[in-house]
Amino acid sequence: MPREITRGIHWIYEPGPDRTESWDLDDRNPGWYEPGEEAYVPQCAYLVDGGEETLLFDTLSPASTDQILEVVDDLVGDRGLDYLAVSHPDVPHAGNTLAILEEHPETTLVAPAYGNDHELYHLDDGVHVEEGDELDLGTRTVKFHEAIFLDSPVSVWMTETETGTLFPVDWMGFIHLDDERLTFVDELDGEFDRSRLVEFHGRVLFWYQYIDVPKTNAEIDALIEKFDPEIVAPAHGLVIRKDATEYMALMKEVTRELDSQERIGTLG
Amino acid sequence: MTVQVAPNVEWINQCYDHEGSHEHVSLYLVCAPEGTVLIDSGSFYHREEITAAVDDATGGEGPDAIVLSHSDYPHAANVSPLGGDTDAVELVASSGSPAQQGLPDARKCDIGGSLTVQGRRFSFIDPPLADRSHTTWIYDHGDGVLFTADGFGNYHDPGQCDALSCDFPDVTPAESVYAYHRDNLVWLRYVAPEKVERTLDDIFSEFDVSAVAPIHGNPIEGSDLDTYRDRLADAMRRIADEHAVG
Repeated sequence: MPREITRGIHWIYEPGPDRTESWDLDDRNPGWYEPGEEAYVPQCAYLVDGGEETLLFDTLSPASTDQILEVVDDLVGDRGLDYLAVSHPDVPHAGNTLAILEEHPETTLVAPAYGNDHELYHLDDGVHVEEGDELDLGTRTVKFHEAIFLDSPVSVWMTETETGTLFPVDWMGFIHLDDERLTFVDELDGEFDRSRLVEFHGRVLFWYQYIDVPKTNAEIDALIEKFDPEIVAPAHGLVIRKDATEYMALMKEVTRELDSQERIGTLG
Repeated sequence: MTVQVAPNVEWINQCYDHEGSHEHVSLYLVCAPEGTVLIDSGSFYHREEITAAVDDATGGEGPDAIVLSHSDYPHAANVSPLGGDTDAVELVASSGSPAQQGLPDARKCDIGGSLTVQGRRFSFIDPPLADRSHTTWIYDHGDGVLFTADGFGNYHDPGQCDALSCDFPDVTPAESVYAYHRDNLVWLRYVAPEKVERTLDDIFSEFDVSAVAPIHGNPIEGSDLDTYRDRLADAMRRIADEHAVG
């Protein structure tokens, strides 16, 4: 089941596999972990409903085809899905693109303008968006941005301008416990442990192990100034709806911490 | 048609045309003691050409195993047409969440570990130059070939599609190495290049590499590796230097 973050923005969640064993959580027992619990790095998609038009941002993975089709049907009803925006053509983000377009022939595919090999991803026929492009959905307006911290060169970030929501895709993801599914960060028990962010970025944005820390942290400052979001909705973490810029600033400590240690490990 | 890279390694190359400049989207065929092993499966964009080339190279038998560097579409889009979804062909992939990557039946290789596939030992290396998190570089212990995705690539001109590094007038051109990595490993703009270099040094110290076989470039012979690596290091420094914050 999805969860509404704020009016018209719905959080669609897929847990993926339990990471307890591959991340060695029982033995290492990091501060945020509860022994014996399962832990997940989720895949998240978001549906923005502006009343007049609807947009789905990412598709979940091929393991959740039935789920995403059902949720989209439930959320858009007879009005249909107007836009499917793909952040980047990574399988867990875009793996249901064809299935959704087949189920919703009324939908316009929206793809990143960045990169140079769209044909290799079936993205050549989509509407290509870049920094500053907007889609007015009625009471909600989405705006697209160059992805800063990314994996695929064919990538785009998105904001929703009325609610101040930033969708930074692979950036600002983190692991969570089984009983924290679809929980907002401000609803978590206790203080948020930044080591969750460190683990994710050390394993998934693997190139963080090589970063120039001052340059990267200057870029984070620039992102805070540019977006100043109220809400951060990552693809691989829980939604942050309070003190969003403080969590963005926390990412500067993440880069310093990753720089000070060996490779944490792979995604597994 | 295939190009021999090492005694038991053949290059099956296809190219994607960037308005006159080509980018390889390749796969490699390893003749192992107990069968044939494909490294990657290529893009759906070249499906007909790839299946025909593999069919030709294997005498109509098809591969006995497919080992994927990662699940990205240009690398994994022909698993089924090449038989990777059947019991007759062993599929090996590095992902810890194969269902999420669209490869629910793959045998898992651990990054940092080794496996014997069709009688041939392969090591799976944590790559410093990649795009997706679950990518592995694959080292063939038989011929000493290191298969790399997506690093160690380059663009090339029409007419250079089948060239090995030694076939260029002066090894793989520096500008093509730079342009490829600038466009495809965009995150290099945020790295300290010397950190990547240290990891590359460790890999080349640990593994005796006779040739580098990139998915997106012309294969680099062992005698040209130092030159290529110098150009790669220059490219990384240039990419980082050129990017201004904000």
